[in-house]
Amino acid sequence: MDIIACIKRVPQTAEADVKIDSSGKDIVKDRLQFDMNESDTYALEEAILLKEKFSGSLTVISVGTFDAEDTLRIALAKGADNAIRIKAEDFGELDGYKTAQLLKAVIKDLKHDAIFTGCIATDDYYSQVGVTLAELLGMPHASLVTKIEIDGNTVHAYRELEGGLLEHLAMSLPALFTIQTGINEPRYASLIAIRRAAKKEIKVIGKEEINAEDIVSFSSLEKLFTPPVGERAEILSGTLDEIGTRVQGIVKEKGLL
Amino acid sequence: MRGIININPEIRDAILESGGDDAIKCYSCGRCMAACPWNLIDDLDYTTYRFCQRIKLGAIVDSEAKEDIAADTDEVFRCIGCDSCRHECPRGVNLSDVLRAVRRILVDYDSYPAELKGVISRLYSSGNPLGESSAKRADWAKDLGIPHFDGTQEFVYFPCCLPAYDARLKLVAEATASLLTKAGISFGIIGEEEFCCGEAVRRVGAEKVFQSAVNNNTRVFQKFNVKNVITTSPHCFKTFQTDYPAFSDIQIMHVVQVLHQCLADGKLKPERPFKKKVVYHDPCTLGRQMGIYDQPRELLQSIPELNLVEVPVFNREFSVCCGAGAMGLWRDWPQDQRLVKIRTEQIFATGADVLCVACPYCLQMFEENFKSMNVDIEVMDISEILFSSLGQ
Amino acid sequence: MAEIFALVEHRQGAVRDITYELLTCGRKLATAQNTKLTALVFASPADKIVESIQERADRIIVMEHGVFENFNAEIYQLALRDILEKEKPHVTLIGHTAFGYDLCPALGAEMGIPFATDCLDIEFTGSRLRVTRSVYDGKLDAHVLLKEHTSYLVTLRSGCFTPEEVSLATEVVKQESPVTEQPEYRKFVDYIEAAVGEVDITKADIIVSVGRGIKEQANLPVMEEFATAIGGVLSCSRPVVDAGWLPKDRQVGSSGKTVKPKLYIALGISGAFQHIVGMKGADTIIAVNKDPNAPIFNEADYGIVEDLFKVVPVLKEKILDAKKLKG
Repeated sequence: MDIIACIKRVPQTAEADVKIDSSGKDIVKDRLQFDMNESDTYALEEAILLKEKFSGSLTVISVGTFDAEDTLRIALAKGADNAIRIKAEDFGELDGYKTAQLLKAVIKDLKHDAIFTGCIATDDYYSQVGVTLAELLGMPHASLVTKIEIDGNTVHAYRELEGGLLEHLAMSLPALFTIQTGINEPRYASLIAIRRAAKKEIKVIGKEEINAEDIVSFSSLEKLFTPPVGERAEILSGTLDEIGTRVQGIVKEKGLL
Repeated sequence: MRGIININPEIRDAILESGGDDAIKCYSCGRCMAACPWNLIDDLDYTTYRFCQRIKLGAIVDSEAKEDIAADTDEVFRCIGCDSCRHECPRGVNLSDVLRAVRRILVDYDSYPAELKGVISRLYSSGNPLGESSAKRADWAKDLGIPHFDGTQEFVYFPCCLPAYDARLKLVAEATASLLTKAGISFGIIGEEEFCCGEAVRRVGAEKVFQSAVNNNTRVFQKFNVKNVITTSPHCFKTFQTDYPAFSDIQIMHVVQVLHQCLADGKLKPERPFKKKVVYHDPCTLGRQMGIYDQPRELLQSIPELNLVEVPVFNREFSVCCGAGAMGLWRDWPQDQRLVKIRTEQIFATGADVLCVACPYCLQMFEENFKSMNVDIEVMDISEILFSSLGQ
Repeated sequence: MAEIFALVEHRQGAVRDITYELLTCGRKLATAQNTKLTALVFASPADKIVESIQERADRIIVMEHGVFENFNAEIYQLALRDILEKEKPHVTLIGHTAFGYDLCPALGAEMGIPFATDCLDIEFTGSRLRVTRSVYDGKLDAHVLLKEHTSYLVTLRSGCFTPEEVSLATEVVKQESPVTEQPEYRKFVDYIEAAVGEVDITKADIIVSVGRGIKEQANLPVMEEFATAIGGVLSCSRPVVDAGWLPKDRQVGSSGKTVKPKLYIALGISGAFQHIVGMKGADTIIAVNKDPNAPIFNEADYGIVEDLFKVVPVLKEKILDAKKLKG
């Protein structure tokens, strides 16, 4: 089985102080850690598990600048066989649609029975590249997948809906799955695989191979700004005892018990 | 289970290159395993003596199977850097440093315990493992009238992260600063520009993040022409001396040394009785690693009516680690497999009213654990005890 | 002037709340553009669903067919394409839910219509569409301009518009479905309900909810004890379930349960929107978080900026005292 996983290198902003840079369109990155996007780590693991089960090859692809090769190498060390970087620097501002077209331009020439992507990137929050890519490649998709079982020619994909409900789909391959966090337990790399990965060549594809004029975007970033502060909570201050007494007063007064 | 060991010279070379050359010295005698506190836990079999041999063969974290890799990686990241093994080793192998070399490679490949990710990312982006704003780093000192260090004071007082931000540990920073003031020592703080010393993040293998801490603190110390530093944490105390090349001409002192000197010079006079039974816990980094055992004990003995007791056998160089080092503070080991539990039982058996520590990690670790084990022993930093015994 | 369309979302026979939010947003856009609002209902049976949205749109286009009984993005895509080609609306609004998530990008890519996903707000600027989105883990917002086009697709985040009661004269138009069977390559099989555990958090009056901030599984018993002591139950945000510390049926949020207790105490929860949508209906929300900038404080009534492990014992004691006085 030939499998493809699309991954993205993103700044870790969940627990960091995020500041807007002087262009107003990007963030200050020099104090941020960069890692593989969270749901992509689960997508990669799902791809590796499938490869281990059915044998075949796993190719990882990332649209990114040079640094993305570090992330691709991590994927190689964890179990991918080949890695491709699409040179983001060659294609200007990227939105989800443009990213999907770049991926399509490369993937259409590769054998693929199954494609895995994360369900959302924690930087731009678009959650659209996977589903768009499936459409551009003319293959069925299932998004927000939290379980996959393969039974002969049928893939049972379980999508996460609201309220703990799952949607059970029966699909045929080739298909694309956007993977939700928690579906599996992403693995560590072994030192032997790390050594192998360190020496592997990463294929780099840029504007010489992909005609940038054919690639359009649907949207452009106008500006970043700090979210307007809504009606914020009344912050209870003082010693712990004073805070506790305030809470006591609130629950009594409102009859919450 | 795996069968025969596969020999991988390439893995060996990579580990030696990343700083694990002490492995060569090891002859697998097993004394490290006897000394390792993890082996005080019944269910564990932490075969430390095999690490170096496996490194020499390149047969470590070398499996292709997910479960085996996970088990091996967990072992590599179990060591909390107490250096009990190093103390026992007839060949002077620094095993925690050897393991650090392995960790460095794994961390670069995003292959380390998940609970550490947030800590490392917070430390890198905000300069402290709690993710607090650097603008608030001097808040603990707001009402104490401590000046910002500007070169006219003799010392910089460096509280590091937990005492600067944590509500409980701020009290330690306050007590220390008050003692220094009382003793007439001229000092200031760096406050907002201070950055975590990075000792723990270095031990865990995140070398790039550690280097950013070194660069930050070096830049700031040079900017203010710092010559003398007092630290609250033994971890800053040690790493500033051993891992900060630019600090070679800066005098780094742990607060215990400074207070001991003040006592000898008569600048501090403990007068008020402290009528309690106190047990002193030697922090690994201050004791075993930096050789400071007597000064804290002498400080405590100078306090009227303080009854100092020892944990039998497991004291001084044989003190059992609280488990907080090398980011153990942030780890998620099962409750019945924690070093702090063993140490708590030893401390409880002394019948002490107060546990005296000289390290913020130890304080945090014991206080949390005493609560969860319902142990009614007060945890105090040595500076807090000394401060309470000073006359008005 | 081309119209504004809103796709009605329903599940197991009931209209979902996001639909009313889409209609409110749609009416705002239609008013601004001086045009009409059309709601699209693909359902089987459709009567009850049409009735639930009566008077909220100028027109309702109904396709009633068995294939629409359960959501399947492939079928919806075919049906929507059919209508969009004929009607050429200016903007089509879809919920940014598991439903719209699966549908919108594929439809936009197929038809070459510019689309924007997960939008908090939408406005026209000249002939272009500007959307507001939340980025970088919710730390910042972004204004994004869509490429100039005659038609746009937008998915709207839940909870950004408050449904308004209106009484429009609604015209109902029936159309034939262009699809009559499920495609072979993607068939809906069934829904699977999450296993019901011993605790039903949706029925509780008092909920203590924990997030990433509890640091480790070992801290759960203390939190559970706190919840029980004050007469409540323990729930959590997604990371706690992902880590395997609590079962899925304790998760509050868009992919978990929606709760409406009298008192909701959020401990160490940063307040990602996925969590907020599941608990914003609580009467009183008290949030404890060390980070004063945590988004949870935008939703909470009362905030405590402190280490939750220090706050919990104090709250437990004080709330128990209050209970005693009351009893």
